[in-house]
Amino acid sequence: MNLSHVLAIIKKDIDIELRQKYAIGGTFLFAITSAYIIYKSFGELKPMEWNILVWIIVLYAGLNAIVKTFIQEKKETYLYYYTLFGPLEVIVAKLIYNYLFTLFLSFTVIGVFTVLLGNPIKDVSLFMKALLLGALGISSVFTFVSSVSGSSSSSSTMMSILSLPLVLPSVLIMERTTAVAMRLINDSEIYEDLVILGGIDLLLIGMIILIFPGLWKE
Amino acid sequence: MRQNWWKFLGIAILIYSVVVGMSTPLKPGVLRMDPLSIGQNGNDSLRILHGETHKFRIKGYNTNFVDNDNKAWLKLDSIGSVKARKVNIVNDTEIDLTFDIPKHFPQRDTFESLTLVLYNIEDGPAILPDAVFVRSDLSPLSDNSEWEVNPIADLTDKAGMQFPYRSVLHETIRNTFFHIPLWFSMFIMLIVSLVYSVKYLRSGNLKYDIYASSLVNVAVLFGILGIITGSLWAKYTWGTFWTTDVKLNMSTVAMLIYVASLILRSSINDIDRRAKLSASYNIFAFAALIPLVFIIPRMTDSLHPGNGGNPALGGEDMENTLRMVFYPAIIGFTLLGLWMSSVLIRYEVLKDRWMSRG
Repeated sequence: MNLSHVLAIIKKDIDIELRQKYAIGGTFLFAITSAYIIYKSFGELKPMEWNILVWIIVLYAGLNAIVKTFIQEKKETYLYYYTLFGPLEVIVAKLIYNYLFTLFLSFTVIGVFTVLLGNPIKDVSLFMKALLLGALGISSVFTFVSSVSGSSSSSSTMMSILSLPLVLPSVLIMERTTAVAMRLINDSEIYEDLVILGGIDLLLIGMIILIFPGLWKE
Repeated sequence: MRQNWWKFLGIAILIYSVVVGMSTPLKPGVLRMDPLSIGQNGNDSLRILHGETHKFRIKGYNTNFVDNDNKAWLKLDSIGSVKARKVNIVNDTEIDLTFDIPKHFPQRDTFESLTLVLYNIEDGPAILPDAVFVRSDLSPLSDNSEWEVNPIADLTDKAGMQFPYRSVLHETIRNTFFHIPLWFSMFIMLIVSLVYSVKYLRSGNLKYDIYASSLVNVAVLFGILGIITGSLWAKYTWGTFWTTDVKLNMSTVAMLIYVASLILRSSINDIDRRAKLSASYNIFAFAALIPLVFIIPRMTDSLHPGNGGNPALGGEDMENTLRMVFYPAIIGFTLLGLWMSSVLIRYEVLKDRWMSRG
């Protein structure tokens, strides 16, 4: 694995993303519109609802954005990449890129929610830890599933039915942890949850790195 | 015929577990203990104080009170027991007992719970834990004379094999032989399928892909049956078919993951691609299954046995009579599942051959 190759792929992905403004703009517009609909229909949100709705929007906006990881470019282009990079470099780059994207998306959604509906987060450092670990789990599951469902005929439907049950453990633990960060529930052993969240991330990423080289040949 | 011995073995074991599991009676037990006398302080609500005499109506289960010399004790843990002063037999399942509650209690707690022990030679002992609560902090234990230290000795069990009587569970204890073995064999099949998926990815032999997917098919069927039997069990013990319990929801999500893998298979037409993708997804799904079923339910509170500090299969929670049926049932269901998937594998292989011929 060559680190400069990884960086090159990430840079390429960012370039493409910025060049095709509709894709990234669409994702963020989706997130902001959903937040606005929630703001107009709820008026005022309880902290728990705030917490849950933020993650649901991040989940669906992320799903829509990451589904195209392996289909946004032409088949020939991927063949070209195949000759240039090893599978490990590609998947690590995609994981990092999608992770950064999910984080950026989460911050945007949280920002919009903060402006419109206020911010109930009490323990910022715990919230950030949960966010960093949870987003890693979500983005890695989405990346893997998009590599599996990528070229099947109805990939966005496949993507959601394949990935939503898989991300559920990460999302549930993250919601619990962030609820603790908002002082909604008490749990003195919340750091155990964070360890489990990190463990799930490692497990998922390990499996992806093991499996992906076989898939990349396709 | 010779290579089919395990199928017959599986069916024989299953027949054994169903017949023995359904026909073995439960041990005699005590359903309830109702006070017949009203509290002596005149209140409607019965308050049992130390040193009072009370009459209780006992409702037994599977008991034979008539024609037997019935004995009854109220037992206080680590102190001793009091014998019933008067025993009136009503019928085979009902009996009236009169107890003199002792004057002296150890000052351990405001209330002490006494355990009812019934015994006759035919039924063996029947026990109701926490049968009576007595206000006990008013008089210290100055002399032990009222408490017999060890009267409940030499109680012989009822002859023959019986399953234990557990309050709440009652006859549904037999579901142990269906609900749990179904989940066990589902897991065994998923693990075997995982092995075949890895084998497929290493060798590229399409045979292994068919093995893995057929096993997942049967495992999903077993999982759904496991959820149905669990749901029925919940109806009779928790009072509802479904609750928002973690274990239940996580198992459903696990099922969704595997159903999704079957849908993924059917969405791809190219055989090699389908095999490769579904093998990859299968491995990934198993990795996701472990936190879902084994980690998260143990972290939070759950009604389900084995989670949130509830007892399950370990130690004293399971009796040897149950184990005699429970372990064979696991083997029987696993063999049945493997047989079912072997039939499915043969069908898929034939279908593949037919399709490729064209």
